[in-house]
Order: sequence, then C-alpha cells, then structure tokens
Amino acid sequence: MKRVLGVALGILTAIGGFLDIGDMVTNAVVGSRFGLSLAWVVVVGVIGICLFASMSGRVAAVSGRATFEIIRERLGPRAAGANLTASFLINLLTLTAEVGGIALALQLASSVEPRLWIPVAALALWLVVWRAKFSIMENVTGLVGLTLVVFAVAVFLLGPDWNELADQALSPTVPAAEGHAVYWYYAIALFGAAMTPYEVFFFSSGAVEERWTVKDLAQSRMNVLVGFPLGGILSVAIAACAAIVFLPAGIEVSSLSQIVLPVALAGGKLALAVVIVGIVAATFGAALETSLSSGYTLAQFMGWSWGKFRRPAQAARFHLTMIVCILVAGAVLMTSVDPIKITEFSVVFSAIALPLTYLPILIVANDPEYMGEHVNGRATNALALVYLVIIVTASVAAIPLMIATGAGS
Amino acid sequence: MILGDLLDTPVRGPADERLGYVVDVRLVLDGPLVGPLAAPRLHGLLVSPRTGTSFLGYERTGVRSPALVARWLRWRHRGTFLVHWQDVAAVEPGAVRLRDGYRQISPDLPGRPSQRPDLHPAT
Repeated sequence: MKRVLGVALGILTAIGGFLDIGDMVTNAVVGSRFGLSLAWVVVVGVIGICLFASMSGRVAAVSGRATFEIIRERLGPRAAGANLTASFLINLLTLTAEVGGIALALQLASSVEPRLWIPVAALALWLVVWRAKFSIMENVTGLVGLTLVVFAVAVFLLGPDWNELADQALSPTVPAAEGHAVYWYYAIALFGAAMTPYEVFFFSSGAVEERWTVKDLAQSRMNVLVGFPLGGILSVAIAACAAIVFLPAGIEVSSLSQIVLPVALAGGKLALAVVIVGIVAATFGAALETSLSSGYTLAQFMGWSWGKFRRPAQAARFHLTMIVCILVAGAVLMTSVDPIKITEFSVVFSAIALPLTYLPILIVANDPEYMGEHVNGRATNALALVYLVIIVTASVAAIPLMIATGAGS
Repeated sequence: MILGDLLDTPVRGPADERLGYVVDVRLVLDGPLVGPLAAPRLHGLLVSPRTGTSFLGYERTGVRSPALVARWLRWRHRGTFLVHWQDVAAVEPGAVRLRDGYRQISPDLPGRPSQRPDLHPAT
C-alpha cells in the first residue's frame, strides 16, 4: 500500500511539476496564433523529456553522479566550462522568468503592482531553499500545481467545436496570417519549453538528494513516463483554451491575464481563483527548481559540496550561489522588464543549449564502467539518436529563425 | 607543470615530424600509499593524429554505442595511440617531443578480468 501511495505521489508531483511559466506562456501564445496546429510539437517534446529525464535519472541512481559532474568528467574543464557558462546563464534567465511569473500571478490575485511582489517572492524562495526539506518542497508545489487541471476542465466547459480542434491538431497547417518561418520559430520555442535543461539538472540532482539506488529505478521511470505525458496534456489544454477564445477573434496573447481569461470565461470567479493558485504553485515550484539548479550546476562543476541533504553551513558555496542568483533575478525584474518577454526568450535559448547537456548524458548512459548492466538498450539508443538529430537541428535553426522572424513578431 | 599545459599541445617525433595532439593523459595508482590511496604516477600521453578535441572516453573501452556518436568520434580520432611518459624527451612551449625509438601503444584499457575474453579460455 505504501508503495502504491509512493508511486501515486510521484506521478502527481511530476504532473504538477511539469508545467512552468515557459509552458504556460508559450502554449497560450501558440494557441492564440496557431490554434492546435503545433500540438504535435508538445508530443515530440514530451517524449523527448521522458527519454532524457529517465536516462539522467538512471545515470544518477546507478552511478551516484549528477549531470554536471558527468559533463565535467567527460568534456574536460575547458569545454565543460563553456557548457557551464551557457547552461548557467540560461538557467538564470529561466529563474528570472519564473519569479516574474509568481509576481504576475500574485498581481492577478491582489491587484498589487508586480514590483511590490518581486521582493516578497524572492524572499519566500530563499526561505524555502534554505529551510524546507527537499521532499516536502517538491511534493507540496507539485500537488498544488495540479490545480492547473482546471485548464482541461475549462476546455470542456467552453464547449468548443471538437471537429475543428481535432482538425487543427491532426492535420496541422500554417494559418494564412502567419509565415512558415514564424511557425517553425514557435515550434522550437514549444520544444524548448517542454525540454528545458533545468528539469534534467534538477531531476538528476534530486535523485542524488533523495538517495535513489538501482531499486528505485522502476518507480522513477513510472513517475516520468506517466507524469510527464499527463503534464503534456495540460500544456495542450492551455493551448486549446487560447485557441478557442482568442484565435477566432485574432487576439494575440501577451499577458498572464489573457492566459487565464478562458478559464474565467468558462468557470467564473471560482475557476479563476483555482487557476491563480495553480499558477503561483507551478511558477514557485519551477523557481525553486531553477534556483537549486543554479547551485547544482556550479557546485558540481567546481567540485564543491552540494545538496539540500547537507546543512547550509556544510554546503556554503552551493547556498551562496543560489542566494546570488535569486538576488540577480529579482534585480533584473525590478527594472520593469516584462516577464512574459523574458519567458519567450528563455524557452528558445533552452532549445539552443539543449545539446550541451543531452550528449554527455547519452554517452555516459552507454558506458558500462558507470552503468554496469543498466546501460541503454538498443531501442532506447535508437530513439535517443533520433532525438539527438532533432535536438541539434532545433538548436542550430533557432538563432537564424529568431533573427529572420524578429523573435516571432 | 599542470595538465592544462599538456592538453592540446602538438606532439612531434624524434625527426620533428608531426604526430598529432595530446588529448588526454593516463595516470596509474602504483606509488607509495598516501592515506587510503596509492600516489598517482603519470603513465603516458594519449595522442590523437588529427584533432585536439575530446574523445569523450571512447578511447578507453570497446563501447560502440550509441552507434552514430561512437562511429563519428572513432573516425575523428582514428589512429589515436598511447606513448609512455619515459618516451617523452622534452616538453617545450608549444610542442611535446618524443625520444628516438618511442613506441605507439593501443589506448585500450585492460578491462576487469570478467570482461576480458582472453582470460577465459573456452572450456
């Protein structure tokens, strides 16, 4: 019974933990402009993150090493240093976007200016990172984030033309008003939102934090393979909400209040309150994960002691890194830069940086010196190579498309 | 000298011919005990004929997967060999020089006995 509960809890946490500000903003923007004609990218992204997270989780459980320890060991100090710089900066950008998301969601609830919420959000973030137990932190934000299911409920309440939605999703075409380059730019953004590198830093370091061993492999695989696809369905529901309400009116989503508007239309004040709780939980959870990831990546590269299972005094530089990153994210947001814009850039840069972490994990997952009998099987490797090609293609195409489309405008 | 001084350095033979670049060093733990571990000793240099970029660990073992990555790296680093540190005549700025009669050795690591078929004659 306890095992069943453990598995259920893990899956529920993975669903709630899958969604972050990047998924919400990108899916809503895409839904309002392209309908469900990019829903296939969410499917590709979810399969990719399942593959990547289960591989890095397996490597962490079997070898006891987290992602950046492996990157440093395999790439050597110089190449890994360049890798760290890129990954760390993009993670910081994502953290900034998540903190901004918390502030925007609290603004929706309170009508108080986001800049007054930013210091509160940053302080709360630091307190949780400093004090809370790892498992409690992960489970609470994941479970409360489940309230985002209200997006899926809203799709039904809105009573859409199901044939048209199915038609958009199953035979995707570029809408007449949009160019092909913009379509592919947003395809990469959606892919980057689903396969954000911090999820993997967090997942593999979390496996070390929770002292996974080979015995926990089956459960971790279940969490990922069931939880992430269900999270992906919520992503598509967000896009569907925007497609139903905004696409016919030709309105492009550019703020958080627009993202939640379809839910309010469908379910009234109560649904709106639920969705705001969900957004605060999801962005707060993701802000915790990105804060920790900043500490994990730097500490693992430098060989510092790290982890929430150590007291802060025993992992001082790990905690200091997180404090500095939270302060920087808060300071950037205090300049009144639009968090939604930051989010849109962060998901594309995530897609650009993805090969840097994907390749080393793939190689180590094949190394019997680390993995013993738990090396990748043939089927996993075949799929992993297909994704290597997709990931590298998306990464290389992202910057030219960004320039050609003026970042999708 | 630190490892960073050696990595990426061009390697030249006794007649000043280009042999490649140092891509890695190999250490062995056979010195006197220092704490629980034997002190490491520099056993040799890994030299790749064409490129100073990383071999990502594929030089050590017979791992052939994932196929695309392994084949690409093995092709980039074809002809990689190990030279003993005793065969190094001099380390100058910008070049490592090998002495006369140096030997090129296979870079494979001998695996654990259970993984080496040659130690398990067919019974």
